[in-house]
Amino acid sequence: MREHREAAGPASLKRAWRRTVTAWRRVEDFHQAVFDARWGHARKREARTQQDTLRALLMLETLGVDNPVAYETLDLIPYMVADLHEWHQRMGREDFGAPGGCC
Amino acid sequence: MPAVAVLLGALALFALGYRFYSAYLAKSVYALDPAFVTPAHSYKDGVDYVPTNKHIVFAHHFISVAGAAPIVGPAIAVFWGWGPALLWVVLGTIFASGAHDFGSIVVSVRHKGKSIGALASDVISARARILFLLIIFFLVTMVNAVFAVIIAGLFIDNPEAVLPTLVTIPLAIGVGQLIYRRRTAALLPSLASLVIVYACIPLGQALPITVDPVAGALGVEPALVWLVLIFTYTFFTSRLPVWMLLQPRDYINQQQMVLGLIIIMVGIVVGMDTIQAPAFRGDMPEGSPPIFPLLFITIACGAVSGFHSLVASGTTSKQLDKETDARYVGYLSSLGEGTLAVCSILACTAGVMVFSANEGGAWTDLYTDWAAAGASPAGMFVQGVAGFAANIGIPESIGVVFATVVVVSFAATSLDTAVRLQRYTVQEISTIAADRAAEGGPVHRACLFLSRNITVATLIAVGVPLVLALVPGNFAAGTLWQLFGTTNQLTAGLALAVIAVWVTKRGRNPIAVLVPLVFLVVMTSWALVTQLMGFLRSGDAMQTFVLAPLDVVIFVLAVWMTVEAVLALRKAFAARRAAPGEPKAPAEAAAEGTEDK
Repeated sequence: MREHREAAGPASLKRAWRRTVTAWRRVEDFHQAVFDARWGHARKREARTQQDTLRALLMLETLGVDNPVAYETLDLIPYMVADLHEWHQRMGREDFGAPGGCC
Repeated sequence: MPAVAVLLGALALFALGYRFYSAYLAKSVYALDPAFVTPAHSYKDGVDYVPTNKHIVFAHHFISVAGAAPIVGPAIAVFWGWGPALLWVVLGTIFASGAHDFGSIVVSVRHKGKSIGALASDVISARARILFLLIIFFLVTMVNAVFAVIIAGLFIDNPEAVLPTLVTIPLAIGVGQLIYRRRTAALLPSLASLVIVYACIPLGQALPITVDPVAGALGVEPALVWLVLIFTYTFFTSRLPVWMLLQPRDYINQQQMVLGLIIIMVGIVVGMDTIQAPAFRGDMPEGSPPIFPLLFITIACGAVSGFHSLVASGTTSKQLDKETDARYVGYLSSLGEGTLAVCSILACTAGVMVFSANEGGAWTDLYTDWAAAGASPAGMFVQGVAGFAANIGIPESIGVVFATVVVVSFAATSLDTAVRLQRYTVQEISTIAADRAAEGGPVHRACLFLSRNITVATLIAVGVPLVLALVPGNFAAGTLWQLFGTTNQLTAGLALAVIAVWVTKRGRNPIAVLVPLVFLVVMTSWALVTQLMGFLRSGDAMQTFVLAPLDVVIFVLAVWMTVEAVLALRKAFAARRAAPGEPKAPAEAAAEGTEDK
């Protein structure tokens, strides 16, 4: 009986610790979500504006404007392809580049 | 009367308001539809339009609307006794603020998440947009002047709070850098910064900071030096990116507010202190302003506040997952702000009397006359919180500094936000004026210059309230506060007019919105006339030549708003009579998507 109690002690302690950690993570997640809802959107908007400016500079030639540093910035284009569709739609263009090039 | 009984009574009435009145609003007035596709879904962009869990939107909305204003208004208004202030806070919150905040969210959700200014233009008339901008200009001018005066007063009264307050600035910048550049989770850095701020309280007590030597050398009042320092600081901080100082400091403030509310409530329950102010003050000192109508503009935030409609239509409506969440978010947040106002009333009528410096005295010795009530309302609140904090073992001297830091931080963040808002307002008014002026003329050129020059716009945003705050005399926190209240109630009136027109157009009974609208318009106009008479009779040059003309301008705006609201409502009722029919069913409304007009 005494052995059983000694064995149960550390196990229940472990359970309590796990519950505490889970509760703390829940609080932290809720807190982070409130933080993002209240303060995060301004940061996201600013990041998006900066990203859009960079993207517009990289895409100058596809927009019909000569880009004097196109050779240097060519390497960056693959990194910008992932969200190209979302970007050109946001900029008010239903399609982008040659047919089939994006959408 | 035990303070705990008042607190529990108010909370019980708020609970009944939420259970029954908000349900009536949701079903019969705003006709919420769970199937309606909210802008958070239809315009989802991951930045502004984000469908969000209702508990998170509630927390975000509540901490956006609660600040220093629901503390200061009730702290002045208890001058007439705690009964009228409490009645207005409780009834105003349940019947006016609840309908206003809740309705602002719903109307914005039904119009693609547009702001209340754009909605006024869409729903009432194109002129209402200019009216809205002018009301905001005066509202923000008053906010800046009053909050600067409050900060200066608190720093003079409690120089030991200056250091912990100053410490929050580099801490906020540090927290901002950690969160935004290193992508650290927000909770731990904010808790650590709170610990550092409170650890600085004893340091502040050991090193109190005053501007007396500077003021003495210049031969001016210390308040003048503080005011110039505060507005200079605001001029520069309002030019910084929001994520660098404004947002992280606001964020730390909100943690302090939650902590402050907990300390006040636990202190009330543990201490079982008695309210020592009269419920209704019979022996009013000579020269006291009349309770009707001034009570209803002295307490704006905490009973009903137009500022909430800016938040409701600015960010909240863009994050609502379901339209039915508007009840929980809008109405419950109003009740939260009402609770903060009730706590302020109790701090200034019960807590303040257990503060050691006031113990054994009479409450009327603190609120001797109207000038005393308006001289340092935030100071009364600070003493009250310190009294409650002592009930739970927090030393009074620490409690004073803690409460001062909370109020000053709130006021400073409001100042920073308000100066930015004022800058945009000045630029937008200039743009509209430039469009209407003869092209190429001097007015056109001047307006165009102002609309494009951030420095000049910021100088106007800082300079006008500085002039108002520097007006000599003891009126700033009292009389100026009431002018702030009138503009705040006008903003609420405009939002309620938008909601009433929308409800009428939808074929539903707008009485729940019309009653607070008419009440606010009557009380605000009446208060403006009463104040004008007071300014003109005072014989003081500043009151006659600065405040009286300001009062007249705000009165003209009130009349303009009433005319616009009446015209729009007449049109809405006429349209309803011309096309009688049943209100649209939820499914039909959902099929329409959003309603632009």
